[in-house]
Amino acid sequence: MSVLKEFEEATPLKNPWIDSWKEEGKKILGYFCSYIPDEIIHAAGILPVRMRATGCTDTPMGDAYLTPTACSYTRCCLEMANRRQYNFLDGAISCNSCDQIRRLDDNIRIKAPFPYQYFIGVPGNINDLTIDWFKHELNKFKTSLEENYSVEITDDKLRSSIKTYNESRALLKELYMLRKNPKPPISGTDIMKVLLTDVSIPREQFNELLRKLLKELDGKEGESNHKSRLMIVGSQLDDPEYVKIIEDLGGLIVVDSFCLGTRTFWDQVDETKDPLDALAEHYMTRVSCPRMSGKQSERVDFVAELVKEFDVDGVIFQRMKFCALWWAEIFIIRKKLKELGVPFLDLEREYVLSGAGAMKTRVQGFMEILEAK
Amino acid sequence: MDEETYQKYKKLARGSWGKEFSLLKMMFNGFLGLMREEEDMEFELPMETILNILLNIGKARKQGRKIIMYPFNYGPELFVTMGLQPLMQEIFSVGLAPFHMNEPYLDFSNEIGYGDNPTLCNASRPLVGAYMQGAAPVPDYLFFLSTPCNSLAMNYQVFESLSNVPTYNMDVPYWAIEEDSEFYDGKVVEYMTNQCKDFVTWLEDQTKEKFEIEKFQQTMLRLNQARENIRDFNETLKNVPCPAGSQTGFWNWFFMSTIGGTQEAVDVTKFVRDSAIENVKEGVGGIEDEKLRIAWPYTHVFFDRDLFPWLEETYGAIAILDILGNYQVEPHNTSTLEKCYDSLARGTLDYSMIGSCRGPAEYYIEYVINYVKDYKVDCVIYPMQYACKHAFAMARITSEAVREATGIPSLIFGCDPYDSREVPHEAIQAKIAEFIEQVVL
Ligand code: SF4
Ligand code: SF4
Repeated sequence: MSVLKEFEEATPLKNPWIDSWKEEGKKILGYFCSYIPDEIIHAAGILPVRMRATGCTDTPMGDAYLTPTACSYTRCCLEMANRRQYNFLDGAISCNSCDQIRRLDDNIRIKAPFPYQYFIGVPGNINDLTIDWFKHELNKFKTSLEENYSVEITDDKLRSSIKTYNESRALLKELYMLRKNPKPPISGTDIMKVLLTDVSIPREQFNELLRKLLKELDGKEGESNHKSRLMIVGSQLDDPEYVKIIEDLGGLIVVDSFCLGTRTFWDQVDETKDPLDALAEHYMTRVSCPRMSGKQSERVDFVAELVKEFDVDGVIFQRMKFCALWWAEIFIIRKKLKELGVPFLDLEREYVLSGAGAMKTRVQGFMEILEAK
Repeated sequence: MDEETYQKYKKLARGSWGKEFSLLKMMFNGFLGLMREEEDMEFELPMETILNILLNIGKARKQGRKIIMYPFNYGPELFVTMGLQPLMQEIFSVGLAPFHMNEPYLDFSNEIGYGDNPTLCNASRPLVGAYMQGAAPVPDYLFFLSTPCNSLAMNYQVFESLSNVPTYNMDVPYWAIEEDSEFYDGKVVEYMTNQCKDFVTWLEDQTKEKFEIEKFQQTMLRLNQARENIRDFNETLKNVPCPAGSQTGFWNWFFMSTIGGTQEAVDVTKFVRDSAIENVKEGVGGIEDEKLRIAWPYTHVFFDRDLFPWLEETYGAIAILDILGNYQVEPHNTSTLEKCYDSLARGTLDYSMIGSCRGPAEYYIEYVINYVKDYKVDCVIYPMQYACKHAFAMARITSEAVREATGIPSLIFGCDPYDSREVPHEAIQAKIAEFIEQVVL
C-alpha cells in the first residue's frame, strides 16, 4: 500500500490514530489557529489536533449566534460544538486569530463549553515588546496545562518537542522542494492530505509517515500532463476536494501560502535558545498571516518569491466569504502580482464545498487565460 | 445658531481647502447648514467646537502642522503634546454619512474589488476609495490599534501600503485590569505603558521634535478634567427624566477623540455636564415627555438623522448613551510622569468600545447589564453593523444574559450605519416600531 493511502486515512476529522490515542487513555486538545504553538501541548503529552468542521451540513446555531455574516468556518465550528460532534476532544485552545475566532470561543464557552477551554492573546504586531508579551502568554498557557492536567512541562520536554516539530518542518520543506521539479512527483491534492495529517495525528508518527513518503517519491517521475503550475493563497483550507477540482481541470498546485501550508513550516524554531523564548520569537516572526500588522510587504514578497522559485504560472486566491483579513490582504497581493504580470483568480468560497459547478467554470476560464499566455 | 455666528463660520470657511480636504469642507458646510436651523442656543458651544475642529484640520497644512491620522477608539493626547494635528479618520465616514456622501466612495471601493459591506466595515472602507480618487487627505503619520476589529486594522494596513505613510501600530491586550475579574492579568498595564513610551520615542524620531514632559503632564491634567466632566455627566443621565437628549453623550466621545487633552475639550465637556446638572435641578428632561428609556450599546445609525427625533416624538423614547458616547475612562492621578503614562495606558484600555470589546464577550455582557441597571432602562436596541463581526457575534449572547439578569427585552438587527442603501431608514423604523409596540409597551 502506498504511504499516501495512510495519509488519506488521516484526513477525516476523527481518524484511527486518534482512536488508538484515546484507547490509551490519553488526552486530545483541539486548537483553532496556527499561532497556537502545538509544541507546548505536545510537551504536556497531549495530542494537539487542528480544529476542523469536516462534515458540517448546516449552521442554524452559527447563523443565530455568530450571525450569517461570520465566515462559514466559524459558523460550522459553533454548530459542531453545539451538536457535541467534538466529543472526542478533551478541550479547545483558541486565540484572537481574527474577530470571528475570538467570538467563536466566547459563544462556545457560553453555549456549548468544552471541559477545558483556553485562550491565548496573540499580539497584533511584531516588535520586542510584543514578542515579550507573547512569551508571557505562552508561559500562562503552559501553567494552565500543567495545572489542569497535572503534568510538568519542563524545559527539556519543550526542547524535545521543538526538535520533533522542527523535524516535521524540515521534512515538509524537503517534500515541497520536490514540487519545483517540472514534473512534480506529487499532486497538490495529495499534498493536502499530507498537510491535514500534519495536524491530525501524533507528531512522531507523522514524521515517520513523511520519511516513508519521501523515500517512496525519491527518483519518481511525476505528472507532466498538467496545463499550468499554480499557487494557492489564503486562509484555512482543509478540503482536498477543493484542490482536486482545480487539478482535474489541468492546473497543478505546486506551492501555497495558507494556514496549513508553507507559512507554518518554512522557518525553523531556534533550538539553541530558552524554549519559550524561541517559541515566542518563532511564532511571532515567521512568515505572518494578515492578522499581523506591519508585515504586509513581507508577506507580499513571500508570495512573489514562491511564484518565482516554483515557476508558478498563476495564483488562485481561496478567499473565505466574509473574511476581512484575507480580502484586504488579497487586494494588496493582487497589486503586486499585476506589477509582476502574474495572472490570478480570486475565488470566494464557503467552508463546505458548495457550488462546485460555478467554481469549475471560473477555474476553467482561468486556465484558458493561462494557456493563451 | 444665531445669524451672526453662522456668518462668522461661513466666512472662516471661505476659499479653497485644497483637493484633499474638499470632502471635509463639504461636511463642514453641511453641518453649518444644519446648525443654522438649530434654534437651541444652549448648544452653541458644542456646535462651535465641532466647527472649530473641522476648520483646524482643514487649515493644518497651510499652517504648517503635520497631520496624524488615527482611528475612533483612541484619544489624541500624545499628538496634542507633540504639536501634531490630530485627524480621527472616522470623522469622514461618520461625518459624511448624514449627507449620504460615503456612497460614491463605497461604490468605487466595490468597483476596484476592495471588499464589500458584510466583509470589511464601511467605517473606514470609504477611505481607500476616497484615497484612490485623491479625495482623502494623506496624513504625515498613521497610527492604529490592534482592536477592536480586524476590519479597522486591515483598512489601515491597506491604506499604509497604498500611501507609504510612516505608521505605528499598538497592540491592545485581551485581558482585564480589574483584580476581581476572572480574566485579570497583572501585567497588562505595564505592557501598555511600555508601548505608549515606545510610541513616544517613535514620534520623536519621526517628527524630530522633543517630547516635552511638562507639556505632557499639562495635557494629561486637562484630559483628566474632561474625564471628570464626562463621568459626572454620565451620572446625571441616571435621573428620570434623563436630562440630556439621545445624541448628547455622543458628543463627549467626539470631543475626546478629536481634541482630548486640550482646554477646549475641558470647556465643552464642562458645558455639556453643567447643562445636564442644571436640567436635573429643574427637573427638566432631554426630551419633553420621557416614557421609555433605551440602552443603545452600539453606534448610532449615522446616516439616519431622523431616527432619534422620530423615537423621541413618537414614543417619548430616549436613547441614553450609545457605545461611543458611553465613555467610561475614569479620571486618574496624573501627579507624576509615571502616573501620566499609567493614565494614558489605562485610558487606551478603557476607551469607548475598546474597553467593552477588546476581550472576551463577558466584558461586553457586563457592560450592557450594568448599563441597563444603572440607567433604569426599559429595553435594549442593537443596530449592528453587518461587518462588525466582533460586536455582532456578541449581541445574541448578550441579549440572553441581559434578559436573564434583568428581564429587559432586546432588539438586534443588522444595518450599515454608513450607507443608507443597505437597510434604509424606513426599514429600520419599521423594525423598531414593531419591537416597541409589540414587545416593550
Ligand atoms: S477564514 Fe478569515 S474570518 Fe474565517 S476564521 Fe479564517 S481568518 Fe477568520
Ligand atoms: S463598527 Fe465595528 S467593524 Fe466597524 S470599525 Fe467599528 S468596531 Fe470595527
